[in-house]
Amino acid sequence: MFHVGHEKVPMCSGHGPTRRSFLQAGSAGLAALSLPTWMSLESQGAVNPAEQKIRNCITIFLVGSPGQVDTWDMKPEAPAQIRGKFTPIDTNVPGIQICEHFPLMARMMDKVALIRSLHHKTGASHENGQRWMMTGHEFNADSMKPHSGSVISKVFGSRGTLPASIVLPGKIGNTGAGPLHGQTAAHLGSAHEPFVLGADPAKSDFKVVDLAPPAGQTEFRLNARRQLLGQIDEVQRKAETEPEAGRDTAYARAFNLLTSPEAKQAFDLTQETPKQQDRYGRNTLGQSCLMARRLVERGCRYVTVNHFDTVFNLSCWDMHADGNSLNNTYADYERLLCPQFDWAFTALIEDLEYRGMLKDTVVCVLSEMGRTPTINPRGGRDHHTTAWTNFLCGGSIKGGQAIGSTDKTGSVPQNNPIEPPQVLASIYHAMGIDLETTMMPGPGNRPIRLVEAEPIDQLFG
Amino acid sequence: MEQVFEGTPQAEIRLEGRKLVRGDVTNDWGSQLLWEIRRNGEVVATVPARANNSYEHADTTPGQYEVVLQMFKYEGYAKDPAGNFTKSKLIEVSNKVSYTVG
Repeated sequence: MFHVGHEKVPMCSGHGPTRRSFLQAGSAGLAALSLPTWMSLESQGAVNPAEQKIRNCITIFLVGSPGQVDTWDMKPEAPAQIRGKFTPIDTNVPGIQICEHFPLMARMMDKVALIRSLHHKTGASHENGQRWMMTGHEFNADSMKPHSGSVISKVFGSRGTLPASIVLPGKIGNTGAGPLHGQTAAHLGSAHEPFVLGADPAKSDFKVVDLAPPAGQTEFRLNARRQLLGQIDEVQRKAETEPEAGRDTAYARAFNLLTSPEAKQAFDLTQETPKQQDRYGRNTLGQSCLMARRLVERGCRYVTVNHFDTVFNLSCWDMHADGNSLNNTYADYERLLCPQFDWAFTALIEDLEYRGMLKDTVVCVLSEMGRTPTINPRGGRDHHTTAWTNFLCGGSIKGGQAIGSTDKTGSVPQNNPIEPPQVLASIYHAMGIDLETTMMPGPGNRPIRLVEAEPIDQLFG
Repeated sequence: MEQVFEGTPQAEIRLEGRKLVRGDVTNDWGSQLLWEIRRNGEVVATVPARANNSYEHADTTPGQYEVVLQMFKYEGYAKDPAGNFTKSKLIEVSNKVSYTVG
């Protein structure tokens, strides 16, 4: 069996690969395939797309970071200043309890694998955790690492007219300590930048900015624009040394989105019934999750839903209770955040399962860190990186389990400590990537591993 | 990006004996949903209504009971020094039903 990137490539003709196709594959598995290369192989009959086993991924990123003791790793036996205000409830998995404000999630815990021993060893800023959980790496401005969606774009390429990686509703912006959130393609190049919606799908006048031609723009003008973009591409092709840039540019991708009826439909939530929109919740998170399902259904491989783009001056998971711009409290968790998440997340899982998509779609709920086990004097919890809970479900993930555990106060892992790169490795593995054989080009085109970690075995039974 | 909540949630509730039954909420914001139960005009209980479409209040203290569904309306995170939301609040999203005990 011939391996192209991570793929075991079935030979339609029964013959082995030609020397040419082997070389096009890029150092025999050392470099992941771009779409043009894949298509080239396909046109030669060297691969059979029907036999691919590529899965999709939807990541919900809880910006600000929920407190583990208040949500999915409760400590009812701990002192009041630690156990907090909420009460645990049973789930449909004996022995696993979660917060009372996730009653619907509690009914589908058999599908969910909690990871209760996540931790990292870098500073307790939002950005550190975001870089870890978005990329699987710690890095600085001189050594940027690509977002997991960009990695997926590089490994699998796009499918149809939609980009391989889409971010809803917007990128993370100001979270306090700098601009490096791990949301770029980094050295993988502009062709693999996530497409950012940049608009709120919960608004009644929602339009995808990049999909809506300016008033008066006709198809003729669009075609003229395409020619212009082509000329720009040509100039860029000559100017840039990066080989990918000439083949699959961001310009071409934008044009495809601009003109494709299929792409427009994918982003059009009015094609969903009002009842379905209600089931996800008429709010930014809920409608983003609904859109994520539509996008995956129509060919997007990796959708990131950012629950909030900042932690300042709005209700979010960053529960400092500081009386100022970070004044989130238990009231925000109880009234808004937990119910909204519970409603949207369970709608997404139910919907994916109903449509037969859950077996091929990994759903990840991630955050950058946890919160201090001891409640601060103002009634909030501050940043905490030595223990928190995230979870995965769908695809090949074995639900109904809690992996790892923390001590009596939820401060540190008690067993099976898990670090962020292991989570990213697990996501890639769950999407069908063989981490042993699939490399991506690093700086200077040197082949490097997608992430320096192994998948968490228990996640896969 | 501040969360957007448009439209007005609405649900129908009814009584089957003393059991409260609600229909689906249209224009559902997905925020906290509660049964607010009053006895002789005083709030005696607020009970989570999201997970189940029906609820029977166990309290049989004699009196006139009135029930309505409430949902949290988010209009900003601002709170007073006591920690109460200053703009965001629970609003009624259904008709009211009433029954008498004793």
